[in-house]
Amino acid sequence: MAETAQLSDEFIRQLSAVGEVDVLVGIPTFNNKDTIERVVRAVQIGLTKYFHRDRCVLINPDGGSTDGTPEIFKNASVSDFEIMLTSNPLRTFHRVSAPYHGIPGKETALRTMFVAADLLRAKACAILSPTSLSVTPEWVESLVRPAYRENFDFVAPLYQRQKFDGLLLKGLLSPVVRSTYGVRIREPIASDLGLSGKLARHFLEQNIWDQDMTAFGLEIWMTTTAIVNGFKISESFLGPRIQPVPQFGQDLPGTIRQVVGALFKCLEMHESYWLSRTGSESLPTFGFQYDIALEPLKLSTKTILDNFRSNIDQLVPVLESILTPATLVDIRKMIDLPDKQFRCSDELWVKTIYEFAAAYHHSAINRDHLLQALTPLYRARVTSFILENTKAPAAKLEQRVEELGQEFERQKPYLIDRWSAKAGGER
Amino acid sequence: MQSSPLWYKDAVIYELHVRAFYDSDGDGAGEFKGLTHKLDYLKDLGVSAVWLLPFYPSPWRDDGYDISDYTGIHPAYGTLDDFKEFLEEAHRRDVRVITELVLNHTSDQHPWFQQARGSRDNPKRDWYVWSETPDRYKDARIIFTDTEQSNWAWDMSSKSYYWHRFFSHQPDLNYDNPAVREEMWKVMKFWLDMGVDGLRLDAVPYLVERDGTSCENLPETHDVLKFLRQRLDENFPDKMFLAEANQWPQDVRAYFGNADECHMAFHFPLMPRMFMAIKLEDRKPLVDVLQRTPAIPAACQWGIFLRNHDELTLEMVTMDERDYMYDEFAKDARAKLNIGIRRRLAPLMESDRRRIELLNGLLMSLPGTPIIYYGDEIGMGDNIYLGDRNGVRTPMQWNGGWNAGFSGADPERLYSALISNPLYGYQVVNVESQRRSEHSLLSWMKQLIRVRKSTRVFSRGTMEMLHPLNHRVLAYVREFEGEKILVVSNLSSQTQAAELDLRHWKGTVPIEMFGGNPFPRIGDLPYLLTLGPYHFYWFRLRQL
Amino acid sequence: MKDVVLRSLHETFGKFGDMLLQFLPHLLVMLIIFVLGWFVAIILKFVTRRIFAFVRLGKLSKDAGLSQILSKADLPPAGDLFSSLVFWVVWFGFLLIGVDALGVPELQLEVGKFFLFLPQIFVALLVLFGGLLAANFFSRAALLAAVNANLPSARLISGFVRFIIILLTVAMALEQIALARSTVLITFAIAFGAIMLALAIAFGSGGRDAAHRMLDRMFPPSEPKKEEERAKQEEISPL
Repeated sequence: MAETAQLSDEFIRQLSAVGEVDVLVGIPTFNNKDTIERVVRAVQIGLTKYFHRDRCVLINPDGGSTDGTPEIFKNASVSDFEIMLTSNPLRTFHRVSAPYHGIPGKETALRTMFVAADLLRAKACAILSPTSLSVTPEWVESLVRPAYRENFDFVAPLYQRQKFDGLLLKGLLSPVVRSTYGVRIREPIASDLGLSGKLARHFLEQNIWDQDMTAFGLEIWMTTTAIVNGFKISESFLGPRIQPVPQFGQDLPGTIRQVVGALFKCLEMHESYWLSRTGSESLPTFGFQYDIALEPLKLSTKTILDNFRSNIDQLVPVLESILTPATLVDIRKMIDLPDKQFRCSDELWVKTIYEFAAAYHHSAINRDHLLQALTPLYRARVTSFILENTKAPAAKLEQRVEELGQEFERQKPYLIDRWSAKAGGER
Repeated sequence: MQSSPLWYKDAVIYELHVRAFYDSDGDGAGEFKGLTHKLDYLKDLGVSAVWLLPFYPSPWRDDGYDISDYTGIHPAYGTLDDFKEFLEEAHRRDVRVITELVLNHTSDQHPWFQQARGSRDNPKRDWYVWSETPDRYKDARIIFTDTEQSNWAWDMSSKSYYWHRFFSHQPDLNYDNPAVREEMWKVMKFWLDMGVDGLRLDAVPYLVERDGTSCENLPETHDVLKFLRQRLDENFPDKMFLAEANQWPQDVRAYFGNADECHMAFHFPLMPRMFMAIKLEDRKPLVDVLQRTPAIPAACQWGIFLRNHDELTLEMVTMDERDYMYDEFAKDARAKLNIGIRRRLAPLMESDRRRIELLNGLLMSLPGTPIIYYGDEIGMGDNIYLGDRNGVRTPMQWNGGWNAGFSGADPERLYSALISNPLYGYQVVNVESQRRSEHSLLSWMKQLIRVRKSTRVFSRGTMEMLHPLNHRVLAYVREFEGEKILVVSNLSSQTQAAELDLRHWKGTVPIEMFGGNPFPRIGDLPYLLTLGPYHFYWFRLRQL
Repeated sequence: MKDVVLRSLHETFGKFGDMLLQFLPHLLVMLIIFVLGWFVAIILKFVTRRIFAFVRLGKLSKDAGLSQILSKADLPPAGDLFSSLVFWVVWFGFLLIGVDALGVPELQLEVGKFFLFLPQIFVALLVLFGGLLAANFFSRAALLAAVNANLPSARLISGFVRFIIILLTVAMALEQIALARSTVLITFAIAFGAIMLALAIAFGSGGRDAAHRMLDRMFPPSEPKKEEERAKQEEISPL
């Protein structure tokens, strides 16, 4: 049963008033005043439209916002029901908002949501990101229905992406999950997802909550844990994904450190599962899929490549501790390629990633440093991929991504070798 | 009988079908003599008025609503003297009598119609609504959708169409004709002179039709009612009109007029929402409809009910609500009829005693005069294999013996088969066995009615809705002349806790009305109550 | 005459022989202690080598960058080096004890001083080791941060950080064994300044954009294009 020491009295009171539910939707927030109202309205309409006979609740665990987000959540309302729907809602619409105690952050928010799902015996849950500008009422249906009506436990989203959007996902996270865990999941890190009540309770029972996991860490942990424990997984198409303009430049090194670090950590946690697996299977998909959007992208490759060349040179002492000499040589060869022909082959990229993973596992150098050292290599790979596929149509792009996935699978024995080698063994 | 102009406000009405109640002459169907025998039962139950379904001469193609003689008694039910004796005996026991007045239409066997269709020049011709083409009044909906395709029927003899909002054998009277109005007044006077206390005006919205309208609730219809009411007030000040208008609350409001039309009207939209609230385990449907119920003149009263002789009508709900009700309450498609569900209370509540009690508790505590359908006080079942709405009009089950104690005739002769399945059969569900137990549904209903009648708060008081956070709990306070009663009901199948904001009544002590036990005094803090599944409380709030 | 010389020689040799006889047992003891000490030292060397293997000293020294230094200096690996060190220290200790057993008071004083000095050396070595670890760690961190921020001459910055930290460490170690105290003070001042510089770099690369904005406000950019390009690159969302 759930430990409720961390829920505030007010929250428990509101939850008791709601009682047992069929569908629970959660929007964890932290200073999202610009975007939260739209999401709440979309959820309210979505629940009324698609689940009007079911008992539903919308929960907002807030991490201590200082910009008035909880008030906006409470007051966001839909006044034009008659226009949007055919009838008045059958049931009372429940909206529960309470700040949660504990350290602000997504982990506590998710845990609070899972505790609520457990207390309210929810059959299906959905988590929605408070910053989606493109959320629609249909998202609620797409994420909840497979868990609520089709007996799936984990519903990952599928977005209609821009051509070169999410290359860290496509180029690293997704294919690694594919080759190691044997599941072809396209969005292994999702801030919008659906899950069954059973899975929510399972997550709650794990020991992860006392550890210091970042937000990304938690998301990929959820995905991999669901896979490892045999839960039924599906993907559901949502539509385009538009986030607010990121604040003044991305922190790419930070993102890589968190995301890839989380991935490697999960690999460590689950090594007994994936070391012996081979092959991969695709997931059942719900919803109507659209093609990739093909907006042209202008890129100044010269600067990136110049940076890359000087960076790799300077990083050699660090890279020596991570990569094999052969791989390092191949990477250094890239330095000599002229701009137009700059390519980082799939084979080299896969080998690099696997060596990084193994080095992470053996703590060859400080793990934080190891992940930081990946950034310039990732940048190079991205540049290479973009240069190669600037004019490629959607089908070709899909094919390239598939080829990459297959390459990751093909080299899996190499990963296993390096991973299982004794610590401090011959390099 | 004591004279009391507002008697209908404090009444507890019992709806019954003479044919179904008690057969004393062995012909297989009930009649007035038999009904008179059973008046003691009704008195014992605690009801203060009976409403009788039509007992007039009729070809019985619509269970008596197709009348062929307004001022007679159908021979199957006895004679006019039998009826007078019944009236007298009822009044002696302080039980008032409400009868039907089917204003809107007659049977096609009625002499008036026979004459009217005879020729176009007949004086009675204009007493009905005729047309050369079936194109007039196109916007009027069809009510009996299962059987009728049109509101016009072709008359072979006079080669024209006549208007009928109900069955085609029930031609509508033409109220634009003053002669019709006068005649109907004469009919009313006939019965009221005899001693009848109230008249249920059947199908009043449809009296008048006009092109380009839905032919319902027209101002001219209200004029007819005003006319009749005026005559009533002049001659019989403490008799009552009860309107049957299956409309949205704001449209029913019009039938009260300015206290110059009907005294009472049925609150149709409330009824399905009571069932919905229990199924959803959410008070929202009830709160919504109560909020949309308009205020009515002080002398007027809503008539509220759980079930009646018709199908549980779903005309006054939305499409979604209708689908929900069908899916939840009419899983056997045979239970659907027209736009409704033809089942009794007990089967709808799946024979769950607690839910039956809860609904009756709501019936007795919501604003309005409660109307109990015969047999529901013992939890009678129904028979959906009988045609039309006959499944809810089976013989009253008096005991577990021969023909359920309803009739001495051979079973094959009974006007309708008895309910005899293992769950609701007369061997199990009957008055005699329930009378013997203090814990039966019948005994409980008696107690409920007794408590209801012990105060006028329920029948005359205002209602203030409370809004506890727990949506499964419905709570309201009724108040009249300083007396206050708090009603709290758990609409769900699970135990619930609710915190009520009772600061307005701070300092009073709630006394639970069935047991008489005092509860802790109301203070500033939210008042916590816990309720078992489908349980309800009635608290008298006393200043102590 | 002959008698006097003979008697004198006899006396002298006799005294010498007595002295020798007196001294011999001490010498014997000393030799026994030497041999015993050697055995003890060997055993301890063996034991410490095992302990070092157990605590993975090899890895730690690799992290410290010590292994590289040692291999470059053609020295044996860290584990061997330290266990040899232990051997020599222990045996030297025993040698001193043996010398002490000779019973020469001046020597005894020196021996005492030596044993008092031993812990200081140990601590100094620890400090040195820790300092090397820190230097390696922070220099690498600086290198990565600078590289990821696309700063030129990242290696320079990294080397500088390493140098400062090693300098501080050496100074601290020297202070520990009480050599050149005032030098340490000056070195510390310099080292502190270096740390500040390292922090400034970290802030500059991590909070680069904030610094960017601050600088922009102070000195309007002469090359806006480059900023645009840089920003464009960062617009591709990796997730």
